[in-house]
Amino acid sequence: MLKLHNLSRIYQTEDVETLALNDVNIEIAEGEFVAIMGPSGCGKSTLLNTIGMLDSPSSGHYWFNGEDIATYTEAKLAAIRKINIGFIFQNFNLIDELTVEENIELALLYHNVPAAERKQRVANVMDKIGIGHRAKHMPSQLSGGQQQRVAVARAVVGDQKMILADEPTGNLDSAHGQEVMEILQSLNAEGTTIVMVTHSPAHADFAKRTIRLFDGRVVTENVRAA
Amino acid sequence: MFSNYLVTAWRNIVKNGVFSAINIIGLAVALMSCILIMLFVREESGYDQWLTDSDRLVRIHTAYTMPGQPPFYTVRSAGRMMEALRDFAANEVSTGVRLIQWGTTVQHQGTGYAEELYMVDPTFFDVFDLPFEHGDPATSFSKPMDLVISQQMALKFFGRTDVIGETITFCCHQSQPYVATITGVLKDSGKPSHLNPNFVFYLNPALFQNDTNVLHTWTSVNVYTYFKLNAGVSPEQFQQRIDFWLNNESPLIDMAKRFLGEAGNGLAVTDVLNLKVMPVADLHLKAKLDSGTMGDLTPMGDQQMINTFSLVAILVLVIACINFMNLATAKASKRAKEVAMRKVLGASRTQVAVQFLSEAIALVLIAMLVAIAAAELALPFYNDIIGKQLELALFRDLNLLLSLVAIAVMVGLLAGLYPAVYLSRFLPGHILKASKSSESAGSSKLRNSLVIGQFATSIVLVVATLVVYGQTLYSNHVDVGYQYHDKLVLNIRAANGNLDSLKHQLQALPEVSSVSFSSESPTQDNENNTMFTLVEANPSGEKVDGQILNYYHMDYQFFDSYGIQPLAGRVFSEEFGADALSQLAEGSHDLGHGSVILNVTAAKKFGFSAPAQAVGKTLHSDQRHLKVIGVIPDIHFRSVKFGIRASVYMVDPARYAVANIGFDTADVPALLTKIQTIWDANVTMQPMTLEFLSEMMAAQYQDEATTAELFLAFSVLAIIIACLGLYGLSAYTVERRTKEIGVRKVMGASVTDVIRLLIWQFSKPVMQANLIAWPIAIYLMLDWLSHFPYRIEQWYLLPICAAVGLLSLSIAWITVAGNAARVARRNPIRALRYE
Repeated sequence: MLKLHNLSRIYQTEDVETLALNDVNIEIAEGEFVAIMGPSGCGKSTLLNTIGMLDSPSSGHYWFNGEDIATYTEAKLAAIRKINIGFIFQNFNLIDELTVEENIELALLYHNVPAAERKQRVANVMDKIGIGHRAKHMPSQLSGGQQQRVAVARAVVGDQKMILADEPTGNLDSAHGQEVMEILQSLNAEGTTIVMVTHSPAHADFAKRTIRLFDGRVVTENVRAA
Repeated sequence: MFSNYLVTAWRNIVKNGVFSAINIIGLAVALMSCILIMLFVREESGYDQWLTDSDRLVRIHTAYTMPGQPPFYTVRSAGRMMEALRDFAANEVSTGVRLIQWGTTVQHQGTGYAEELYMVDPTFFDVFDLPFEHGDPATSFSKPMDLVISQQMALKFFGRTDVIGETITFCCHQSQPYVATITGVLKDSGKPSHLNPNFVFYLNPALFQNDTNVLHTWTSVNVYTYFKLNAGVSPEQFQQRIDFWLNNESPLIDMAKRFLGEAGNGLAVTDVLNLKVMPVADLHLKAKLDSGTMGDLTPMGDQQMINTFSLVAILVLVIACINFMNLATAKASKRAKEVAMRKVLGASRTQVAVQFLSEAIALVLIAMLVAIAAAELALPFYNDIIGKQLELALFRDLNLLLSLVAIAVMVGLLAGLYPAVYLSRFLPGHILKASKSSESAGSSKLRNSLVIGQFATSIVLVVATLVVYGQTLYSNHVDVGYQYHDKLVLNIRAANGNLDSLKHQLQALPEVSSVSFSSESPTQDNENNTMFTLVEANPSGEKVDGQILNYYHMDYQFFDSYGIQPLAGRVFSEEFGADALSQLAEGSHDLGHGSVILNVTAAKKFGFSAPAQAVGKTLHSDQRHLKVIGVIPDIHFRSVKFGIRASVYMVDPARYAVANIGFDTADVPALLTKIQTIWDANVTMQPMTLEFLSEMMAAQYQDEATTAELFLAFSVLAIIIACLGLYGLSAYTVERRTKEIGVRKVMGASVTDVIRLLIWQFSKPVMQANLIAWPIAIYLMLDWLSHFPYRIEQWYLLPICAAVGLLSLSIAWITVAGNAARVARRNPIRALRYE
């Protein structure tokens, strides 16, 4: 589905140059569940953002569905991203002023989906994730686990092929973390590609493959026996 | 502790550069407006307050409210009132004085100077205890023709102030020059007064022996009458005494009976004639209420204008305070951690509140410094608009300095109080634990309504500006009914006896197309009214009562030279010989004759609905039978703001006071020189007064033009301040919504989507402000317009409101668009990761 080749990312400020990603080569096939691990500051999030087209590489190649998109403009990236990729963040990033339903619907608003269809799809995904009874609630009225489930729902409501999750369980207690992981696992079982950054070895075990990063380099890749 | 506040305050001001600049600039602009308006208001309301016993000095104004006649108001009174009231109300008043304002010529060393003279009763300095530079107020008026002059005049004519014993020649009264001896020199008080006593002259009653309309009259109003009340007597008590006298003791009871006949049955004197007491200290601002269409000794102020602009100053200041409150509460979340930490470390809520209040006051004080500098720079332009010589003398004027500091502190408290209360309320545990947004729904709602309030205020101001401006334009372009371009008006009072020669020589100039004499030129008002009775029956066969009508005199060329065509009949013409009023010998009982022209309104008064019906009819007035030879349209002889009067036009060479000179030349300065030469040859030692009629016309609307300019200036400032606030608020909102915008962008929102979202958020309050402002503005401006007999049509207000609405929206968009575009283009991941 995607392939990174000799990809590097350098952050430059006035006097410091940080090599966040250093000559990374990764290939991820459709339907995979990949965990990315490594200590703080090793470049996990940069890698995830680059895969998610929120950040562009400084050098190297990025093939997405066969296209080398490393040099694409932001507008072009946005168009590809919006159809293919859903995001889940550690801090949920729900919009406080919108209800659960409206937050999920937001993802469809920018896809030119007719209103009736939007309602239907939002209702379906809420049932699937198990938050239908919270449709009219505001994010502040939900527990962390519930908020993250809303975020997951928002990430998949547009039928995205791939979900990028940045420490999706980082702000959750173990029970809620487990719930979210199970949802991700079931989504993966239905064919959604999932790339997840995590600190938790237990949650990394849900993935079929684990990539370890250290100082911007890929150190090891483990594939779990099926 | 305080130094810690100062340090935090200063660092916050510096760190939030944009917000601080918006606050300081906004407040400085508002304070500058406030300073400028305050200087004006102080000057205007300081008139005559400084006079000795100013609270005991009053003037008597006259109001005639005859049944069936338009009311007539003046700040003058009849010549006999002073003595009668002083004698009758001896318990209320100790002394009184009459003053006659006399435009005259001072002849000095071969040159004539136009000057203004006050002829007064010798009690003048008992009432007005003016400071003397030389001489003694107690002895300076020992005999008629004694003269007290101002320091300024002493310097002008003698080059020194010690001029007691010198003489000054005035020219002329009834063709006789008179010589007055200087017995005192007034000190220049430098303080504003409705009196401008350049030449104060002990009134010699003998001068008016032949003129019964000045001193020896109960009804003709040609003198200013002042009284000094006894200590402890209020103006109201004196007023009651006057009313009692008018209705019960005065000779006016019989006169009213005789004059009104049956129409006067059941009426008291005070129903038709009032003498109104007004404190001298109020004259400058309130005399306008009593002055009708005639002026006062010096140009009058306008209480309404003072009130309006004081209100504008307050509004502009409030708008700036709202900016401060908005930005301070908007930024609150940024300072929430500081507040929380201070509280954790033991600060009480009061201490935190005091800290924020001191910060606000410090900021306002900085703004005040900027404002003072800006006001100093703006003052020359401002003086130019309002026609004053105001100055900002901070170090010589302790009161001013103190009031500015007081204003700064008050504004600081006003602007800082809500943010202080709001910020100091934060609970430390809540804020430090969850890095939650401290923004409550309540505070953003409040901000929203404050923005609406700001914009509504600015919109009302702008609509008012446009309406005032439109009305001024309209007044200037109303068809006055005659041709006033390329006309000069020459005052010929001093040229009596030489009029024929003057006219011939002026007419001989190649540039001059017409010369005609009249009692007044257009724009020169008069209150000459007399009774005209229709001799025949009118078309409906009724006998019409005598009508008191206003009248003018002019020569045979007048109507032609102004291009005024009769609607029926003809205008005056020498071909018919007998148009001029016949002169009646003194004491004669013969019936005189003459011709008159009426305007349409006058013809209607007699019941002639069609102008032609009036032609050939006869009016009786003042011992003459006057033939109506023509009817002309209702021309606006005086300012259109006074409306049309029923007027009668007659030919009487004895009344001519101005020459109306029509010209046709590109070289106007050369023409002026030639006219000056002719004047000097015909009139010796008299200054020439020559004006362009078009300038005289424009001067009639100077008040409205000034109001419009000031309104424009201050409403533009108000809009700028409101926009500064909007800009700050949008910058802040964009910051606060960074995360939301990031999420939206990750979801696929385009830059345009985001900009549209933000612009809509700020359009809403502006639209709501319009909906609130329009009815208020329309109500206020309809009320203002109702004072003008000729005014722009009411429906004009709607397009004006709509235009201001669009303008306000586009200004808001421009203000917000920059911030919106900046954030919309930003990479969303920054917003989402690094919260």
